[in-house]
Amino acid sequence: MSFFFALLFILASIVFVVGLALKINQYAKTPAPLRIATTPAPITKTGVVMRLFREVVFFESLFKGTKWTWIFSWIFHMALLLVLVRHLRYFIEPDWVPTMVWALIELVQPFGKYAGFAMVIGLVGLFFRRIFVDRVRYISAPSDYLWLLVLGFIGISGLMMSFVMHTDIVAIKEFFTFSGGQLPVDFPLIVHLSLVALLMLLFPFSKLLHVPGVFFSPTRNMVDNPREQRHVAPWAKALEEEQK
Amino acid sequence: MHRLNGLKRIAVVMMAGILLSISAAAISGSMVVEGSKAAGMKDCVAPTMDMRRNHMDYLKHQRDEVVHQGDRSDKFALADCVSCHASKDKQGHPVPVNAKDQFCDSCHDYTAVNITCFQCHRKVPEEK
Repeated sequence: MSFFFALLFILASIVFVVGLALKINQYAKTPAPLRIATTPAPITKTGVVMRLFREVVFFESLFKGTKWTWIFSWIFHMALLLVLVRHLRYFIEPDWVPTMVWALIELVQPFGKYAGFAMVIGLVGLFFRRIFVDRVRYISAPSDYLWLLVLGFIGISGLMMSFVMHTDIVAIKEFFTFSGGQLPVDFPLIVHLSLVALLMLLFPFSKLLHVPGVFFSPTRNMVDNPREQRHVAPWAKALEEEQK
Repeated sequence: MHRLNGLKRIAVVMMAGILLSISAAAISGSMVVEGSKAAGMKDCVAPTMDMRRNHMDYLKHQRDEVVHQGDRSDKFALADCVSCHASKDKQGHPVPVNAKDQFCDSCHDYTAVNITCFQCHRKVPEEK
């Protein structure tokens, strides 16, 4: 059991890290020569940094677009952040980090614990949106449902372990920090870990790429300066030089 | 000899690493501290593995049983944990059971669990 999961997670981690790196490399290299920022757009670099900050932290575009989607989506993502920070305790040992950092990880525990509920509530809201909003249901692909279900069951199985039947977290931590622990054979844990491995394996090939992708959206990350500065696509530049 | 290509070589190294780390150590030994009464005993009030996994449930506040019904027959009692697991310093004074690297702290610090038992309950054995 532990051996299988060790293999699975090593494979999943490799696929996750390498796949994500290749994707980010691809995004970074994709040419976007012309200014297509959605106006009104910032006209300075600082402005763009602030716009992206608002986009990433508050989901500004989504807020301006659909309030209901924004509410559930924002609840889900913020809760997920807390939950992920809480999970650091399974992968970091106290003496690897400064005392301050460990104190913060300790501090976040109760928040992350109850954020689990918020996360599931957000996902349920997003799931209902896909089912009950006609125009959304029409454009929903199977993978859209898949991710909501996968994340939902990860959340529910995690909450099960917090609130209904505990598992042996010391053994789990020893397992994940290569200290020789054996994974406890507990049903919610098996579900939780299997789905997380699935998520990591599929992450670089899925819509979850919006995580790095948001930083590369040309309509959001471009400075609005087409008049101050001339932008020429490479093929146009070649034509221009021919004419000279 | 047939040479392994890069990917296969990585796979072999990974496999070796996993095998090594799995065989390295079974679950680390006892957390019981030296100089405590528990150090000289074979088992806790329940088998060690059971206590490791379930002590938090066993020790949940027993207010209804103890205060309302006066039932103290339960074998799990925080005061007993403390009296058995607290160690003594060189002068023979008991060390708080939740102090750094003491019995409670070693695992709870490891898992970032902040225990609040001892904000009310005593952390050294009762003087007799």
